[in-house]
Amino acid sequence: MGLWMSRLLSIFGEKEARILVLGLDNAGKTTILYRLQVGEVVSTIPTIGFNVETVTYKNIKFQVWDLGGQTSIRPYWRCYYPNTQAIIYVVDSSDTERIGTSREEFHAILEEEELKNALILVYANKQDLPGALDDAGVAEGLGLTGIKNRDWSIFKTSAIKGEGLFEGLDWLSNMIKTKR
Amino acid sequence: MSDSKYFATTKKGEIHEFKEDLRSLDKSKKKDAVKKVIAAMTVGKDVSMLFPDVVNCMQTDDLELKKLVYLYLINYAKTQPDLAIMGVNTFVKDSQDPNPLIRALAVRTMGCIRVDKITEYLCDPLQRCLKDDDPYVRKTAAVCVAKLYDINPELVEDRGFLDILKDLLADSNPMVVANAVASLAEIQEVSGKDVFQITSQSLFKLLRALNECTEWGQVFILDSLATYQPRDAKDAESIVERVSPRLQHANCAVVLSAVKVIMKQLDLIEDQTLVKTMHKKMAPPLVTLLSAESEIQYVALRNINLIVQKQPQILSHEVKVFFCKYNDPIYVKMEKLEIMIKLASERNIDQVLLEFKEYATEVDVDFVRKAVRAIGRCAVSLERAAERCINVLLELIQTKVNYVVQEAIIVIKDIFRRYPNRYESIIATLCENLDTLDEPEAKASMIWIIGEYAERIDNADELLEQFLEAFPEESSLVQLQLVTATVKLFLKKPTERPQQMIQLVLTYATQETDNPDLRDRAYVYWRLLSTDPEAAKAVVLAEKPVIADNSNSLEPSLLNTLLNNLSTLASVYHKPPEAFVSRTRLAVQRVDELQPTAFEEDVVSISNSDGNAGAAPSGKAESSAPAPDLLGDLLDLGGPAPAAAPAPAPAQTSNGNAGAAGGISDLLGGLGDLDMAGGVAAAPQPARYADPFAAPAPAAAPAPAAAPAVAPLPVLLPADKGKGLTISGQVGRQNGHIVYQLSFHNGSGTPLDGFMIQFNKNSFGLSPAAQNIDVPPLAPGAGGSAVVPLLQNPAMLSPVAANAGLQIAIRNNQQGVFYFNDVLPLTALLTEDGRIESSAFVSSWKTIPDANEANKALPVNLTNVEAVKAKLAAVNIFLMAHKQVPTTNEEVIYLTGRANTVGAPTQLLLELRFSKGTPGIKVFTKSNRPDLAPMLFDALPALLAL
Repeated sequence: MGLWMSRLLSIFGEKEARILVLGLDNAGKTTILYRLQVGEVVSTIPTIGFNVETVTYKNIKFQVWDLGGQTSIRPYWRCYYPNTQAIIYVVDSSDTERIGTSREEFHAILEEEELKNALILVYANKQDLPGALDDAGVAEGLGLTGIKNRDWSIFKTSAIKGEGLFEGLDWLSNMIKTKR
Repeated sequence: MSDSKYFATTKKGEIHEFKEDLRSLDKSKKKDAVKKVIAAMTVGKDVSMLFPDVVNCMQTDDLELKKLVYLYLINYAKTQPDLAIMGVNTFVKDSQDPNPLIRALAVRTMGCIRVDKITEYLCDPLQRCLKDDDPYVRKTAAVCVAKLYDINPELVEDRGFLDILKDLLADSNPMVVANAVASLAEIQEVSGKDVFQITSQSLFKLLRALNECTEWGQVFILDSLATYQPRDAKDAESIVERVSPRLQHANCAVVLSAVKVIMKQLDLIEDQTLVKTMHKKMAPPLVTLLSAESEIQYVALRNINLIVQKQPQILSHEVKVFFCKYNDPIYVKMEKLEIMIKLASERNIDQVLLEFKEYATEVDVDFVRKAVRAIGRCAVSLERAAERCINVLLELIQTKVNYVVQEAIIVIKDIFRRYPNRYESIIATLCENLDTLDEPEAKASMIWIIGEYAERIDNADELLEQFLEAFPEESSLVQLQLVTATVKLFLKKPTERPQQMIQLVLTYATQETDNPDLRDRAYVYWRLLSTDPEAAKAVVLAEKPVIADNSNSLEPSLLNTLLNNLSTLASVYHKPPEAFVSRTRLAVQRVDELQPTAFEEDVVSISNSDGNAGAAPSGKAESSAPAPDLLGDLLDLGGPAPAAAPAPAPAQTSNGNAGAAGGISDLLGGLGDLDMAGGVAAAPQPARYADPFAAPAPAAAPAPAAAPAVAPLPVLLPADKGKGLTISGQVGRQNGHIVYQLSFHNGSGTPLDGFMIQFNKNSFGLSPAAQNIDVPPLAPGAGGSAVVPLLQNPAMLSPVAANAGLQIAIRNNQQGVFYFNDVLPLTALLTEDGRIESSAFVSSWKTIPDANEANKALPVNLTNVEAVKAKLAAVNIFLMAHKQVPTTNEEVIYLTGRANTVGAPTQLLLELRFSKGTPGIKVFTKSNRPDLAPMLFDALPALLAL
């Protein structure tokens, strides 16, 4: 019965997409995930490992993987790269000190062979905090403007307030639909 | 639907296929893939490379899938310790799941994943689950604590899990209580620490939970109750009362554990009627155990064997249930036989004898032999039944079955020993069967009988002569008996023929044989006979002590240990658990902790041996200090001493028995040879040294250094290692000589005598001046002490760099040889003539190369410098100079001492630097033997502390 239902759904045109949420620790990845999924702010602890949830938006079923951002866990991100349609890269805009580290990680991801077709969506998160860089600042900090051969976009977000998240998802769903 | 299809694939690229399927977004496909992976895992294929993909399936609502993934994790987390961290978040989430089954599953799996890196992340979830609302989660978490303790004990202690576990003992749910008990008991056993003490309050809670929890929970609780020491008889009574209903349980383990608890508490109960009722109550359940299958019967019988040794009255009326059935396996029959012997009494002996007689006609040779021996043992232990037993034996001899006759003769010899001059009339019958004897033991027994009763056997000389014809070919057992029997014959009938025989035998035994025992015995007889035949008569034909049957019964201390371990492997093996359980992990740890006491000491252990080394050697050095406040410390030595004492054992085992033990036995084997070399030369000395100190008043010793005798000596061999014998001792100095002060306490059931001592080669060539220890025979429960003078013998010098370790072997006539280790305090080596001129001090400090200098900061504060100087002088470390350094606030003390090392004595030069008000002291030392420096540093803290 389950099998039959899922086939039926795909006939009706519901698309599925595998998305990774990456970023340094304390960027707000888990909060974003649950804001997208249940629409609420849940209290989180540092993710040692991963969270995975399914978010259906605009007739697309996003399988969203939120991976822990600790230095010790970053090496294992690569286990999750295959078959990924999009990366949501989350940056703590108020953490100007570590924007360099974030940039290095970001460019390492861009180099990955397995991710060369993945869409890149950057969330300049924590816009609610004072002293946060705006989207242009973050784009510059990450060196986004130099990327020519990829589809990317950046959005100002605040996971706590729920701002900017779905705008980003809109861009993502449009890109996925046009790609297919 | 059968799951067997998952085992059926053998295609190539299977792993790749699995990978694809595991990444599938389709849930059912994913689940199928996980099932296939698990199937491959169970048939032994390595699917560890799928680890990240399987872990990614972990977050699911599907309980079945989750369980499968957890199963995989438990199996492969160890091979992928780094990746295992990716599972942590899911565990944390699952431990907060609304479904208690998932919470428990998560916490259980966490405990099974033995990866160091992730244990710390598991503490928070575990802590939550220990306080969960659902009892199922709590009971699972309780067990998890023990698992965690095995991986990381410090974490468990730091996070206070032990206290939470103790709180769980008061839980409202009996299963939680039982698991908390099991967990605490396990931790206690693994750590050897005192984490789980049943108090009178927790006792009540445990007893209440006992009635309600599952059978295995009951076993845990009962086993822990068995360790409880009740305050008084009333306490014990109430325990027995509450536990006794468990005797009716269908589970054998519960029954045996209940018996264990009751046996323990009965010792304390004074009310004899209650004791009797309990004995009556315990019998039926024990009997019921024998209706189970043979394997369980065997276990039950081994346990009953112990119970019967302690309390024969429990089953004294039940001997019939131990009669062997024709179809019992042999191992059950043998055990039953053993118990029948123990239960045989005047009342039931007729029945029992009838059974034994029956068994003696069976086909299994071993069983028959044992049955015949059983008759003999009954005869020896039951005086009034002896005659009946002998009659049965005679009947059996008439059957002329070879091995029956031989066994019968062996036991009849024992009966003759037990009841002299009563049954000798049957000797004639025995003599008829001489030709059938072909086993050494039977032959030896018969020869003993002939020799012993030579005066009553007319043709004794002829009979012996028959045996003598084959003398050279006989086994040593028979040869020894023949020598003795011939001597007896000669002494009883000094006629011509025996005289010739004895010439022949003694000539052969002294000249032809290469068996040293036989040769020595022959020599002794020969000299005895040639010097004074009357004396020979007095010796050889002396009245013999009456024997008792104590074969196959265990000594009391061992029996008590085993009874405390009833219904465990120990009670089946009849060995204490330490004898066959190796706790490798812990053993290794302990060896590490006590490394300086081990023998393979590295030369550069100066820095290594400071902190942790301090414990053992300084503990020993302390006892030479006369200060009274130290006495408290020493009495507390319970800490360091047992900690130090077990060290030798693990050290030996880990070195491989061959190495250390072999070395010692080697040297023990040389006992005889050494006797000639060292013993003779040193013979007058022990008397000189030992005499003034043999009296138990060492306080009267005049030498200032000899004060420490008041302090208890450190235990070298604890009772549990020494079969009940405790040996304490310490190397020290008395009247200018190195001595080994020893004290013994006999906690075994038998009197002990003939104590001897031997050292293995060591860094200072120390060896006892004589092998015999001047200690009187020790009655059970008694103690004694001795001072063994030690000599320095170049032949005993071990060539490796100096270390303080001594390997010692002590034996006695009853228990054999014990091996243990001790640590030599450097002060024992320092001679009284160690003072030198200050000019000599300065010049030698200059001439000794700097490479020989060692220094170390000691955490000692010198407060009373004068008292310290006196104390040092008492141990022959002499003051050279005491100066203030004018520029700094420092004070410097120069000291010297002469260590009596083999070859040439070593002059030790010492410099102590310290400043008033600043804690700590710096020590510099120089000598020709830089390897002595670590020992010096070990000894100093105790000497400098006041």
